[in-house]
Amino acid sequence: MSRRPRPGPPWRRALAALAALPPVRSIVENLMDNPPEPQYTQAEAYAPMEAAAADAVAVLPDFPGFKERIWGELPATRNGIDVQGFTIVEITYVFSLPDSGTPLVRETYLDVLREHWTALGYTITRDAVKEKPDRIDRSLVAIRPDGIALWYWASGYTVLRVQSGPVTASEPGTIEYVPPTGGVRAGGRYDKVGKYFPEGIPVDRDAVDPFDSPDSYEDSL
Amino acid sequence: MSEMTWEHLRDLDCTAVRTLGESWKTYVDQQLAHTERLRTDVIEGHLSAEHYESDTATQVREQIGMTADRYEDDLSDYAGTRIATTLLEAADAFEKEQNELKELIPLIEQHDFAIEGPHSEYDVNLSGGLHRAILSLDPPQWLCDKCGVKKPDGFWDIDTLKVLFDSVDLYGTAIGLAGQYQDWLRAVMSRAHDADDEAAAALAEMRENPTELPPHLGATYDDLVDDYKEGVTEEVADEAEAIAEGTSGMSPEQVNQWWQHLSESERQALIAEHPEWVGPVDGIPTASRDTANRTLLDNDIDGLDSRIAAKEQALQGMDPESDEYEQAKQELDDLKGDRSDLANLQDRITNDDGTPALAEGPEPQQPYYLLGFGTQDSGRAIVSIGNPDTADNVNTFVPGTTANLGGAPGILNRTETMQSDAQLASPGSSNATVMWLGYDAPDTIVPEAAQERWADGASEDLENFTQGLSATGQEHTNHTLTGHSYGTTVIGHAATKDGVDADNIVFVASPGVGTDTASALGVDEDNVWATRNSLDPIHLSPDFLHGADPTGDDFGGNAYHSDTGAWNANNHSTYWDDTNMAGRETLADIATGQR
Repeated sequence: MSRRPRPGPPWRRALAALAALPPVRSIVENLMDNPPEPQYTQAEAYAPMEAAAADAVAVLPDFPGFKERIWGELPATRNGIDVQGFTIVEITYVFSLPDSGTPLVRETYLDVLREHWTALGYTITRDAVKEKPDRIDRSLVAIRPDGIALWYWASGYTVLRVQSGPVTASEPGTIEYVPPTGGVRAGGRYDKVGKYFPEGIPVDRDAVDPFDSPDSYEDSL
Repeated sequence: MSEMTWEHLRDLDCTAVRTLGESWKTYVDQQLAHTERLRTDVIEGHLSAEHYESDTATQVREQIGMTADRYEDDLSDYAGTRIATTLLEAADAFEKEQNELKELIPLIEQHDFAIEGPHSEYDVNLSGGLHRAILSLDPPQWLCDKCGVKKPDGFWDIDTLKVLFDSVDLYGTAIGLAGQYQDWLRAVMSRAHDADDEAAAALAEMRENPTELPPHLGATYDDLVDDYKEGVTEEVADEAEAIAEGTSGMSPEQVNQWWQHLSESERQALIAEHPEWVGPVDGIPTASRDTANRTLLDNDIDGLDSRIAAKEQALQGMDPESDEYEQAKQELDDLKGDRSDLANLQDRITNDDGTPALAEGPEPQQPYYLLGFGTQDSGRAIVSIGNPDTADNVNTFVPGTTANLGGAPGILNRTETMQSDAQLASPGSSNATVMWLGYDAPDTIVPEAAQERWADGASEDLENFTQGLSATGQEHTNHTLTGHSYGTTVIGHAATKDGVDADNIVFVASPGVGTDTASALGVDEDNVWATRNSLDPIHLSPDFLHGADPTGDDFGGNAYHSDTGAWNANNHSTYWDDTNMAGRETLADIATGQR
């Protein structure tokens, strides 16, 4: 379907003309192809991320326990989409549906975490309340200086999500199992790390204990 | 090609078309009562074995039964599926576009625009009167209001001078609005023509010759009846092949009716013996397609293994310095690449024991369903997380530039993220999220993503896919189409050109969707959503490539907020990252019907 050129503001037309120039095009394509240098590799990211989750759980009063843990990845960049060789790790801890609905979990924990993360010097980048017909959703996001993000989201379920930001993708065999925090049974049905350990949770090597996090991960990176 | 004009569409009596369709359905029901009587009153009644026991009587009962079967098949195929459903679908489609026209034409007339050009591509231009009004510094009130100037009421007063110096904007504004109405009108007529052509094709494909009846009773009966039975079985195969090859003229809804009418053994036989006629076909239920496609995937990988082995053997006999060797080596690498891509897809969606794998996500974990794949061009992969046939909410994700079969596992991660977010946002409903890489996506930002041909090439396939989801899904399922980058252009072209079955459309990081107005998309404007973060380089995409920014005020629909990533991150692809929870939450709400 042929379309008529639509008159737009002069600055848009000028910008468009500029964008069509080969050097500008090259810069734009370059920008879209090269994310900033990541601080961790994928394999290195799990331990500090799990430690961040454990640290959050430690300050929550009357903690009822999470129902499940999910290790996931966002396709920032892995397997050919966007930039080859990068990924974003996302670890999700989910409260049970009944616990997800309690004021303790939906409101009190959010207040506690806001205070805790602020005290630790993390940057709060999102603190939102959304009213829905049958519930009020809340969302709190804090970013650590090392780029790891913590997202507490009280929606249908309430979850704590820990996200790595773009990291260099690692070979599956180099990823170490880290036991879950918050009452999720290691290697159990709800410890959803299966796709990383298709042969089963490794037992012949010491699992990384997230509660025993060192001051620095420099030596293990 | 449809010759329908906008005046034809405006004046069409859709109720009459629908009534005709309903009449055919009623006729089918009435005729089915007759065959039922034949079976109960004649075969199992007066002529039953209890009263007549002989070889001839058995033959008579068998022949009557086969005649009744034949009549029912023809009723179902022609009167029910072909005629009635075609008329009903056409009536629905025409009425939907007619309603849009009833809204649009008065707007065109009120603004003193004129519809010109051929029915295949209407123009909406400024009328002579509007030209004169602007040139004589007497613009209409609506135009003054849109430009924010006071309508002049005297010659060379301050308002007149202001209008004079703003005359370019007056023209620009009027032309811009006319352009939006033009997009809208063209989209309405394009979808109406598409419905007209599809209805005509469905009717035209009815067989010209009547189907064969069982052989006459007599000396040759025994010789002929087996051929007849075999012919009936072959008819199903012929129909399945024609549907798969797209020559049947049947819509996905009609395909679904045809599939439901088959016996269970016929369906299983088609899946087992001809998975290529089942797996890719929109309108066949998801579970059956998944089974067939997994068989096809196994077969394709095996076939590639054989071809790779043969090619490697052939290479051994060639001169490594020859052109022939270079060409064969390149072909071998391509085969290995295809084999690797297919194996990666298979690994992702299949457990070690061959059963469908479950996607990582909140309880209840959802299995992968393979709805299509291919290695042609940059490759195809259509995978659903969760069964869209049983889900309350189905979100179909269309990826953009550089998406290919090799990257399908990565795109599946993004799809999984959306599925996970939807389940967390709406635990009380069942959700499915589909990765639709059912088209050849551009490989480069420049020049390929600047071209419309990739979107136009995808349009009909996306239309059919969404219609297939509607045909096989629940009646009140909430369907969302979400595009990223060039994927939004694909959705926009499909929606305006052929039409899509969707309740919500979401444009993420769009370079433009082929139209300047949400009104042209054939979906309620309130359910059109768009987002761009402020650092996304897609802002540099000029309007003349793919149309206006769908997050702009003039576009209509809704814009929602997405946060940026780091200033030097690839902010065109951070919409599902840990820096954009606001956007992910909104998308989850849209996809689960909470907005």
